[in-house]
Amino acid sequence: MLAYALRRILATIPVMLFVAFFVFSLLYLAPGDPAAIIAGDQATPAQIAAIRLNLGLDRPFLVRFGGWLWQVMHGNLGTSIFTSLPVSHMIAQRLEPTLSLMVLSTLIAITVAIPLGVLAAWKQGSWIDRLVMVLAVFGFSTPVFVVGYLLAYVFALKLGWLPVQGFHSLRHGFWPYLRTLILPSVALGLIYIALIARITRATMLEVLSQDYVRTARAKGVGNRAILFVHALKNAAVPITTVVGSGVALLIGGAVVTESVFAIPGLGRLTTDAILQRDYPVIQGVVLLFSFVYVVVNLIVDLLYTLFDPRIRY
Amino acid sequence: MSTTYRQGTVAAVALPDVLPPLVRRGRTRTFLRRHPTIAAGGALIALMLAIAVFAPWLGTVDPTAIDPIHRLADPSARHWFGTDMLGRDVWSRTLYGARISLLVGFSVAFCAGAAGTLVGVAAGFIRVLDGVLMRIMDGLMSIPPILLAIALMALTRASVQNVIFAISVSEFPRVSRLVRGIVLSLREQPFVEAAVAAGTRLPRIILRHILPNTVAALLVQATYTCASAMITEAILSFIGAGTPPIIPSWGNIMAEGRALWEIKPYIVFFPAFFLSVTVLAVNLLGDGLRDALDPRLAKRL
Repeated sequence: MLAYALRRILATIPVMLFVAFFVFSLLYLAPGDPAAIIAGDQATPAQIAAIRLNLGLDRPFLVRFGGWLWQVMHGNLGTSIFTSLPVSHMIAQRLEPTLSLMVLSTLIAITVAIPLGVLAAWKQGSWIDRLVMVLAVFGFSTPVFVVGYLLAYVFALKLGWLPVQGFHSLRHGFWPYLRTLILPSVALGLIYIALIARITRATMLEVLSQDYVRTARAKGVGNRAILFVHALKNAAVPITTVVGSGVALLIGGAVVTESVFAIPGLGRLTTDAILQRDYPVIQGVVLLFSFVYVVVNLIVDLLYTLFDPRIRY
Repeated sequence: MSTTYRQGTVAAVALPDVLPPLVRRGRTRTFLRRHPTIAAGGALIALMLAIAVFAPWLGTVDPTAIDPIHRLADPSARHWFGTDMLGRDVWSRTLYGARISLLVGFSVAFCAGAAGTLVGVAAGFIRVLDGVLMRIMDGLMSIPPILLAIALMALTRASVQNVIFAISVSEFPRVSRLVRGIVLSLREQPFVEAAVAAGTRLPRIILRHILPNTVAALLVQATYTCASAMITEAILSFIGAGTPPIIPSWGNIMAEGRALWEIKPYIVFFPAFFLSVTVLAVNLLGDGLRDALDPRLAKRL
C-alpha cells in the first residue's frame, strides 16, 4: 500500500512538471514579443524594455524556466502587472469563496446524485428511472450560467428567498455565508449531479446483476442492505473516479458561476486577469487549479485501495 | 445489431425482387423509431441548422445595427425578443448567433477529432512515441479544459478561428486517448495479424483495417466534443475571452445582457434557451448514436 502510494505520488511529478512548463511557456507561444504583449498597446519602448529586463528575456529559455519554477516552489508566483501585488497574495485573498463554492457543490452533488442513481438502478425501467435519465441529459445540456440565471430569477428575484448576488465571508456568521452560497452551489452542482447520477446508475446496474447479489437475496438479506452494503460498496470505484474527474467541470463552472453571482473568488480573478491581460495572474490561477485537479485525482486513486482491497498495483 | 437481424429476415422471405425500394425506406423509418433520441436530436439540429442558414429571411434585421432611440424595448411585434442596451434587435442577434455556435461546435468536433485520431494512431503504432505522446496528453488533460481554453485565448486576439483553435486544443487529448485505446486493442485482433502476415504495409493496415473500426466511437465522441465546445464557446464569450463583441454569438448576447438582467431578464434568457436546446439536441443525438452503434456500451451507461 505504502509503496503503491509512493509510486503514484511520484508519477504525478512529471505531469505537474509538464503543466508548469506549459503554463510558463504560454507567454512565449504567442506570436510576437512577450514583453510587448504584457505591456499592452499603449506602452512606450522604455516600458517594454523594462518589462523585458524584468522577465529576464536576455537569458536562455530553460534557465528562465528553472528560475521561475524555483520561485513557484517557494510559493512565489510573481507579481501582478495590474495591481503590482504578489499573485500568491491575490490568490489567498480570493480562496475562501471559491473553495466554499466547490466544496458545497460537491457535497450537494454527492448527496443528491448517489441516492438518485441507486434508486434509478433499483427501479430500472420504471418512471423514476426514466425521470432520472432525462434529468441527467438536461443537466448535461444546460450550461451553468443558464441554470444560475434561472435559479437567481426564480428564487432571488421573484420569490425573494435568497440574495441575488454577492458573498459573505464565514467571519460574518454562518447563516449569511450559507445564504449567499446556496444558489451558486446548486447551479454549479447540477452538471455534477447529472454526471454522478448517471455513472451511479450504470455501475449499480452492473453490480446488481452479479452472483453475490443474487446470493445475498437468496439468503434473505433485505433490499436496503443489498443496495447500500453489497452493491454500492462495489460500485464505489467508478463513482469516485467520476467524482474526481468531474472536478474539472467544477473548476471551469466556478469561473462562470462567480461571474453570474458576483462572487469575489478565483473565478472572478481569472476573468478580470484575462480582460486586463494580467499574465502572471493567469499563469498562477491555471497552475493552482491544475494542481488541485491533479491532487484530487491522486487522492481518488489512493482511495481505490480503500474501497477495493483487491486493487494492488 | 438490430439492423443485421432485420436484413436476415428480409433475405429469408423469398420475394426480394418486388420489395427492395419499400424495404429500404421502411428500414430508415424503423431505425428512427427504434432510436427516438436520434430522431429527436437530429430533427432539432436540422432545425437549428435551418435557422442558422436562413437567418436573413426569418424576419431579422442587421444584427449589428444600432438604434439607440429604441433601446431596451420589451418584446413586441416589431422586435419579437425586444432590443438590447444599444437598441439592437435581440431576435436577429439570437438567430445569427446560431451560426457562430454551430460553426464553432462542428469545427471543434472536426479539428479535435482529426488531431486526436492522428496522435492516437501514432501513439498506438509507434512504440517509441507512445510514452512521450501520452505523457503530454496527460499533462494537457490535467489542466481543466475551460481554463486551458481561457489561457490560450488570453494570448491571442479574440476571433472565431482562435476560439475554435483554443477549444480544439483543450478537447483533442481525450480523443487521442480514446483512439489509442481502440488501436491497441485492434492490433491484437486476428484480422490485423492476418493482414500483417499477408505482407500488408502499415499505411494500408491503418487505412483499411484500423481507421474504419474507430469511426463509430469517433462519431459518438464527436457529438460530445461538439456539445461541450458550444458550451465552452458561450462561456468564453460570456466572460469576455471569446468571440469579439461585435459578433452576435449567444455568449456575447448574454454577456451584454448581464448588466441589466434583473430588469430585462429576457435578453439573457432567449439566447440561453437557444443554446440549451442546441446542446440538448447534440447530446440526444450522441446518446442515440452510442446506443445504436455500440449496444454493449448502451447497457452500461
